[in-house]
Amino acid sequence: MITHQLALVKREIWEHRSIWVTPAAIAVIVTLGVLAMMMFASGFAAELDVAIFGAQNLAGDPERKAALTAFFLSTSWIFIVALMFLTVFYCLDSLYAERKDKSILFWRSLPVTDAETVISKLITAILVIPTVIVLGIIATHIVNLIVASIWVSVKGGDGAMLIWGSVSLIDNWLAAYVVVMACAIWASPFIGWFLLVSAYTKRSPLLMAFMPLILIGLLEGIIFRTHVFAENVLARDGDSLPIFRTADIERFIETDEWRVGEGASNLLPHLDIVQFLTSPAMWAGVLVCGLLSTGAIYVRRYRDES
Amino acid sequence: MTSLVSAEGVTKKFGSFTAVDNVSFDIESGKILGLIGPNGAGKTTLLKALLGLTDCEGQLSVMGLDPFRQRKKLMQNICFIADVAVLPRWIRVTQLLDYVEAIHPNFSRKRAEELLQQTKIMANSKVRELSKGMVTQLHLSIIMSIDAKLLVLDEPTLGLDIIFRKEFYANLLNDYFDEERTILVTTHQVEEVENLLTDLMFINDGKILLDSPMEALADTYTEVAVSGHDADRARGLGPIAEGQMFGKSVMLFEGVSREHLEGLGDLRTPSVADLFVAKVKGARS
Repeated sequence: MITHQLALVKREIWEHRSIWVTPAAIAVIVTLGVLAMMMFASGFAAELDVAIFGAQNLAGDPERKAALTAFFLSTSWIFIVALMFLTVFYCLDSLYAERKDKSILFWRSLPVTDAETVISKLITAILVIPTVIVLGIIATHIVNLIVASIWVSVKGGDGAMLIWGSVSLIDNWLAAYVVVMACAIWASPFIGWFLLVSAYTKRSPLLMAFMPLILIGLLEGIIFRTHVFAENVLARDGDSLPIFRTADIERFIETDEWRVGEGASNLLPHLDIVQFLTSPAMWAGVLVCGLLSTGAIYVRRYRDES
Repeated sequence: MTSLVSAEGVTKKFGSFTAVDNVSFDIESGKILGLIGPNGAGKTTLLKALLGLTDCEGQLSVMGLDPFRQRKKLMQNICFIADVAVLPRWIRVTQLLDYVEAIHPNFSRKRAEELLQQTKIMANSKVRELSKGMVTQLHLSIIMSIDAKLLVLDEPTLGLDIIFRKEFYANLLNDYFDEERTILVTTHQVEEVENLLTDLMFINDGKILLDSPMEALADTYTEVAVSGHDADRARGLGPIAEGQMFGKSVMLFEGVSREHLEGLGDLRTPSVADLFVAKVKGARS
């Protein structure tokens, strides 16, 4: 079972190269952007150095931490947006492409059950893609911190202390992993839905996935004048993600003054894993994901491809 | 001899259309059975039922297993090549070998690599870079490296040129087939397989028209080229088909002994293709 799953997940990564190409591309783009910013800013005065985290002449410790935290958050956010797109396109393609190119006949000629296959796609969507995204985040941070510390050192500052010593890197990466995994689990009913559409639809999986979601929301609003579906299903986004102790970002970064509280240098304490794991809404989502994925297994098993 | 496949009253309907209609047969191990039928005859549906890809009514047992409900176990002992090039186009040859090696308990990677060395297929190539013939060679190399009891080939050589087709069957016979193994093959190119087959089955409109060992065909079916003045006498014996060739009537008889036919003209055993045409036309009229 485990060797099968490993082989099946490996297969997914071979087939869907975007799983690792996209994070790698974002890492390169972010790094080039930061490099450009530094080269551009180095010709200017101290005000701009605030934008390039950790410059030697940055006024004080809290500002540098704020700059570093802002860098962490903004880059992680780009990766989380990428995660969303990657997961949607991956899921919609995962059980559709094999039917389109008829390779399903080859896959099904081997001793693997339909349940094993669908589970491997679920594992890829909920565990593998988020993990690759976090690795992308970490790699981007490391490369940029190296670049920044070299830059600071060239300017005569102590790069090791100013850049590497000012924020809890491991805690922040752990926080990134927790948030990204929580996002994936929180969005799991959508993952289940996309897998079902991918297994079922004969054409346009993207349209077939989103049209019913939008139509149900619209019809409910028009007919019943209520927004239960929209509020509980469509609005299942980051704002309501029960992993955050507080979703109010201004409580740890005062954007108007570029001031930062001590708590901002470490993002981990802002997360509440117990709250997440005991959230009924999260478990309801997991249950819906399970039901929809079972539907995908059923469709792959019973549909006659001839 | 033991029955590898046993079908009893197998029926498959799609809505009001009956693709396979109350079919019963046995396939013994160590045979090469040709399943021949026109387009839409129900061949592929029947194969899919055998492979557990589709559910059906009636009793169907393959190696003692219910193919639809015990498909995973069944697939450890069955291999099949479907009628289209179905290897995923994005995969590399090495990846394909890695995957099958991890998934299939009876796969020998060493053997697959040996077989691939005899071809022009590079280990690092992607399937999309290979010609159709090479894709089939790759697929066959994998299949031949799996120690399976039953090999199902559904139009395996469709779209291949004559050289690849000949090589395909030669490899299959020389490197794969033995009395432990059974091959079930469907094809339109009847002439190419008729010398390989040990058994023959015709299917039309979901029904079996003929199910016979090859060596028994000569006892049952006789083709006679009859000159004009003997034609009426020959027709009296009830040929199942009649055609004209070089001014003679060529008649095909079923179940009429050769002693009765001698003296009417040259006797010979009909080709599978002629027999097939006669049977299908007979069934339709």
